[in-house]
Amino acid sequence: MSRTARTASAALTVALALGVSACGGSGGDDVAADAKQTLTVWAMGAEGEKLAEVAEVYEKANPNVTVKVTPVGWDVAHQKLVSAAAAGTMPDVAQMGGSYMGEFAELGVLEPVDTKTFDKGDFFPAGWSQGEVDGTAYGVPWYVDTRVLYYRTDLAKKAGVDKAPADWQEMRSLAAAYQEKAGTKWGLSIQPSGLDTVQNFYPFLYSAGGAILDDKGEAVIDSPEAVTALKEYGAYFDKGLSNKSVQPGYDVVKDFGNGRVPMFFGGPWHVTLLNEGQPQIKGKWAVAPVPAGTSSVSMAGGSSLVVSKDSEHKAAATAFIKYLTDTEGQADWYERTKDLPANTAAWDSGKLADDANLQVFRKQMDTAKSSPSTAQLTEITDKVDQAIAKVTQGKASAEDALKTAQSEIEGIVKQ
Amino acid sequence: MGTTTSAAAEPAKVKDGPGAPAPGAGRQGRPRGKRSMGVQNAAGWLFSTPFLVLFTVFMAFPILATLLMSFTDFGLRNVTRPWEANFIGFENYTELFGDEKFLKSLFNTAYFVVVGVPLTIALGLVVAVLLNNGIDRARTFFRVGFYAPVVTTIVAVAVVWRFVLDPSDGLVAGLFSEVGLTAPDFLGSGTLAMPSMIAMAVWRNVGTVMVLFIAGLQAIPAEVREAARLDGAGVWQEFRGITVPLLRPTLLYATVITTIGYLNVFEEPFVMTQGGPSDSTLTVSLNMYREGFNFFHMGYASAMAYVLFVVIMGITVLQLRLLKDNTK
Repeated sequence: MSRTARTASAALTVALALGVSACGGSGGDDVAADAKQTLTVWAMGAEGEKLAEVAEVYEKANPNVTVKVTPVGWDVAHQKLVSAAAAGTMPDVAQMGGSYMGEFAELGVLEPVDTKTFDKGDFFPAGWSQGEVDGTAYGVPWYVDTRVLYYRTDLAKKAGVDKAPADWQEMRSLAAAYQEKAGTKWGLSIQPSGLDTVQNFYPFLYSAGGAILDDKGEAVIDSPEAVTALKEYGAYFDKGLSNKSVQPGYDVVKDFGNGRVPMFFGGPWHVTLLNEGQPQIKGKWAVAPVPAGTSSVSMAGGSSLVVSKDSEHKAAATAFIKYLTDTEGQADWYERTKDLPANTAAWDSGKLADDANLQVFRKQMDTAKSSPSTAQLTEITDKVDQAIAKVTQGKASAEDALKTAQSEIEGIVKQ
Repeated sequence: MGTTTSAAAEPAKVKDGPGAPAPGAGRQGRPRGKRSMGVQNAAGWLFSTPFLVLFTVFMAFPILATLLMSFTDFGLRNVTRPWEANFIGFENYTELFGDEKFLKSLFNTAYFVVVGVPLTIALGLVVAVLLNNGIDRARTFFRVGFYAPVVTTIVAVAVVWRFVLDPSDGLVAGLFSEVGLTAPDFLGSGTLAMPSMIAMAVWRNVGTVMVLFIAGLQAIPAEVREAARLDGAGVWQEFRGITVPLLRPTLLYATVITTIGYLNVFEEPFVMTQGGPSDSTLTVSLNMYREGFNFFHMGYASAMAYVLFVVIMGITVLQLRLLKDNTK
């Protein structure tokens, strides 16, 4: 580093230190698991609210530990966690979405998972891998989700189809039949553009055998498989089967209920939303595995639990996470939240084993792929979002759009 | 304000005028004057402290930090390790002007300002003149009506406008189908998204400008108008010859603040389109937000902030020059 550079960074450090109080480094002595202590836990959205109940149960069994749960809204979660990381005030345990892992590992605020306590083999592969960054596991999978195809069986009957579409061709002709014979407004609801469009594209991309980054972290979004997937995705807009204009924040549930939209890719939470919000279509819809390109592969999402590197309560934090992620804890969590257990053994008992809808998710999870764990994930998927937008708006061919995305992502990966 | 400040700053110049009790003004009794001046100063500082602290913490420091940061490659990892950021001189700035996305956002912002500002000012003026002269009974009702969008939160506005512009069952689509036409997809089309956004911004900001103009109009003495009428001026002549010239200071102020506001436009594209489709509504502020808080390119985003700052300053100075009342 040159002298000016050093001076400048020193100046900058001083300036930032003024703004950012107490940068990191509280480290300190670890408190033993059985000592009296308070664990701070951050959890997001609905989980944040339910976790407090579980914490109470846990406190009864472990009277030396007080668990303080802070619910954080998903909309502010990322900002809050980044600020906490910068200020060195991360909670002992935090829930972390799969897409955050790369960033926070890069920030160096996460404690690697204690692999003596947690066994990779107990969890869905995609669940485990989303907590992994560069081969090191930082998060224990808490719950998983994957996208499957929701479709209206009553309208399908009207359209003359009595089974779920198994591959792309069947799905596209079903979409057309819905429109022509069952009078639906659209055939399939997928997002044409905007933030996180890529989440709708993953089932196509992965089912065609494509990916954004390969195992070595190199960009491969212009592969022939990816081009095939994007062409198929774009065809829905081209043929008027999907709505070209979907506003940010659009919720498909209502339109599925009133029959304007007969098919969409949804997560497990949509089961509850449909049962509670659209009771008039009870028994008139079903879920099916993602229609296959070369095979049926969906995206995996979900959340992991992480321990902060600065935490002084690592032993107790690990014990708490163990409690939440073992077979019993996971089945209990499903009862409370309907979040799908990340621990595979939890699926073999009670309601989970009997519910036909859930078994579809179970099966899809076996092959589901999580998005790449890299610090620049948002930046990379933004480029894919843009490529998709170009194609769905008819501004570029799938080949050209992905070629552009490829060179842009190559530039990002190299940084 | 003028007398007090100058008295405090340059006591020597102040003569024993009627404003004599001004702080520290007396030539006689120097020691006493000095002491009371010290007390005065202390009190002044004491009373300004809350403001100064807030200003330093929330304005001066961020402004300085941003400037420093704009010369570094401050990225995600530097959030926890700021000392690892490298000084890279003007690299961020040179990169900006080769960045297609930035140039596009600059163009979009210019588009927004060039179309939006004249429309907002013109409509605001027309509405203000109408409300000031015509409709006597329902005046308050209309004033509130035009001002309501200003005080409505952007999220509520977004929900309403999405309904209005929804291509399948929105209000406008309904009107189109009444006459047997299909409504275009306003927010989903690359060419129509920006004009739609401008329409919404104008609707939302006309109220602010209107209030300014109403205040300005009411400051115009009735005698001037009467004199003009006696001289046989028509409505249009009165408007051009009396109203507009006398409104000049208000016009200048309204134009400057509207331009600054529009150059910073962020909320409208953020809630309505997220900058899409295909970046057609990506503005500089939104681009900056995404670079900074989605991708953590803090150095780059800071450089963008300073470019925007320079642009705003340049345009404001230019406007002040061009629109300043030269008759004085």
